[in-house]
Amino acid sequence: MPAFAIYSAFKRILANEEISTPLAAILALTELIENSDAGTMFELVKALNDGAHDLQKQASNPISLNAGCELFIAFVTLFPHDSANFADLKKELILQGQNYAAEALTYRKKIAELAFGFIKDGSVILTHSYSRVVMQTLLLAHKHKHISVFVTEARPRGLGIKTAEALTAAGVPSTVILDSAVAYVMDKVDFVLVGSEAVVESGGLVNAVGSNQIAIIARAANKPFYALAESYKFHRLFPLSQYDLPSHNSKILSFPRPLLAERASSTNLSARDSTASAHDLSTPTDEKPDLVPPKITQQQISENNPDVDYTRPDLISLVFSDVGSLTPEGVSQYLVGMFAG
Amino acid sequence: MPVPTIADPPATSGGVKSPGQPAQKSMTKAERRELQEKQRAAKAVLKQQPQGKQAQQGGNPPSTTGGQKPKVPATPQKKTFIAEATGGKLPSKDTGASGAPAEDISSKQVSHGLRIFSHFGQPKPIGHTVKGDIHPAIIRLGLLFSEFKICGSNARCIAMLTAFKQVIQDYTTPSHSTISRHLMTHLSPQITHLVSARPMSVTMGNAIRELKLEISGIDIDMIEQDAKNHIYDYINTYIQDRITTADKVIQELAGKKIKDGDVILTYARSSVVEKVLLSEHSEGKIFSVIVVDSKPLLEGKELLKSLTAGPNPIPCTYALLPALPSLLPEVTTVFVGAHALFSNGAVYSRAGTAMVAMMSKTHSVPVVVCCETYKFSDGVMVDGFSKNELVPLSIIQKYSKPQDQIQVSSHLEKLNPLYDLTPPTYITAVVTEVGLIPPSSISSIPLALGKTSL
Repeated sequence: MPAFAIYSAFKRILANEEISTPLAAILALTELIENSDAGTMFELVKALNDGAHDLQKQASNPISLNAGCELFIAFVTLFPHDSANFADLKKELILQGQNYAAEALTYRKKIAELAFGFIKDGSVILTHSYSRVVMQTLLLAHKHKHISVFVTEARPRGLGIKTAEALTAAGVPSTVILDSAVAYVMDKVDFVLVGSEAVVESGGLVNAVGSNQIAIIARAANKPFYALAESYKFHRLFPLSQYDLPSHNSKILSFPRPLLAERASSTNLSARDSTASAHDLSTPTDEKPDLVPPKITQQQISENNPDVDYTRPDLISLVFSDVGSLTPEGVSQYLVGMFAG
Repeated sequence: MPVPTIADPPATSGGVKSPGQPAQKSMTKAERRELQEKQRAAKAVLKQQPQGKQAQQGGNPPSTTGGQKPKVPATPQKKTFIAEATGGKLPSKDTGASGAPAEDISSKQVSHGLRIFSHFGQPKPIGHTVKGDIHPAIIRLGLLFSEFKICGSNARCIAMLTAFKQVIQDYTTPSHSTISRHLMTHLSPQITHLVSARPMSVTMGNAIRELKLEISGIDIDMIEQDAKNHIYDYINTYIQDRITTADKVIQELAGKKIKDGDVILTYARSSVVEKVLLSEHSEGKIFSVIVVDSKPLLEGKELLKSLTAGPNPIPCTYALLPALPSLLPEVTTVFVGAHALFSNGAVYSRAGTAMVAMMSKTHSVPVVVCCETYKFSDGVMVDGFSKNELVPLSIIQKYSKPQDQIQVSSHLEKLNPLYDLTPPTYITAVVTEVGLIPPSSISSIPLALGKTSL
């Protein structure tokens, strides 16, 4: 049997607008079970772990993907197997995986209803980047209440524009603000509402880069900071700092090699070695071309920058999820209970 | 009454199993009894007239005859426990070397009691005041505890359980009783003896509770030797599961938080942190360590020795607590150990830890506490004053240079609490064998482990 290309399956599933990364990972793993010839539980779990590993290696940002893989593998290992033969068990697991994914699609509605109670009539809301669950919540709130929304542009991907366009199309008054204008706008805002890439064991949040600074500014202005997260985004990870995230690598925030500056200083040195009179003449003329600043492209900027950042739990007011409205402590207790048990 | 007479001081502080008995003067039975009577009398007198007479005596300059065992103290008041804890000051030349310090001070000096914190457990010299049927292994352990030769909650718990194994093997059930009912009454005085040597640690309390539960659950029809073997195995499993293996898991989990180029700061000495650092270094990670230390115990020196030992030492910096602010800007992570963890997430650890944690927080350096789950206590503690332990004077003298010692007068008292409490807000994460958890979720751990008791 040819090796199952899990990443392409993952990509295919992810193409569906409604399906988020962890769910796509779960569905990709169920397809892996379907295609696997594992004869024992041990082999199956090994195949799943390998598949999850493959996904991680190929995906650009492994955090939310890991959350899904972790959940599904934990589920498979703990699944009570009383089936007569292994083929039945596999069928059962596939069914359970697909059922879970189908059920998980209703979670956003649940979360929207929970968060709805916290949105007052006439609220001004600040949101960041694009999140399906935030969109659903805002659209639900718009049906019953007057709301207006500020959306950050969310560079480098600029997904905030997508949010603003969708909201405007639905008739919600919305404005795109610069990422650098968050502090400017904060006093006008009633609360901040963001989606999430993953919610981690500390009760903190991993989300599109910029969320952390919004949380810090919201705390400074004493505005509530709410996060929305489906429970499949709960991830057993404990980042101690930004640089402890699995998505952090040496390329992020690296300084480019100052080639031009080096050349400039070397010419400077050689000039000084030569006669003093020549020095005065040569330096301005020789160095001028070198001093032209190198062009910095947007692509270079985004390569050197992180996709996601980590928001500390003490900056988060509440996390709305399908298991209820939780404080950050509540999230960590839920996670400890889910995985330590 | 079993009398340990071999003078053979254990070589290392961590040594749990040094042979023979720890150093002590050979006293005759009569002498010991006399001493005991004196102490009892002193206690009684103290209760009646707590201040006046002692304060007057506290002003006396220390006599210069130190070093000799005080067989006959001049007045009973001189042997009060409070005096030993706070006042007694010895001429230094006798105490620099580790002789039999506990006894030396006992009769030397008297000052008033502590004005504040008098409720802290007053350390008292034990060893020769053995009441009841105490197993030699326990007497020996009591001495090791009281002289801080075995220090640290893991070491103390393991040493206690190891001694209990011996006690239980040497125990015979009386004909009229069963092991499940009688063994605990046999162990109780042993525990009392250990507690009189040094207040019980939370770990010891937890281990004893588990042990009691196990003993009470023994089938009464079981053959005695089988029952004893069962308990023996149970103790081994407890040490293995809750301490040894737990430490290995913690090593692995905490190790993941150390990255190449990191600067790790640690305070005093924790056996778990030491293992984490050594194992990560042996796996080839490149990092440096700052060991912050403080008087009176200066335990960090031991840590420094073990980190820099061997052919491939870890680059280390050693500093005392006042240097902390200038070191913190270059620190990436702080790792500390714990004596106990309370259910509100507060960490009870060596005095000074709270300061390190608070200062790290203000520098936004993550503080990671390494702690096995058997150190969890279901109580709640809000400060380090409601309960604490004092460093006995004999120990302070042993660790400080003679010229550094401050002469004690009736207007001066020394206070050396052994522990302090770090509030949960200053702690980033607690590494346990069940994973990294934020301090706020400590209370959910016993439930998650499916336990009704710790």
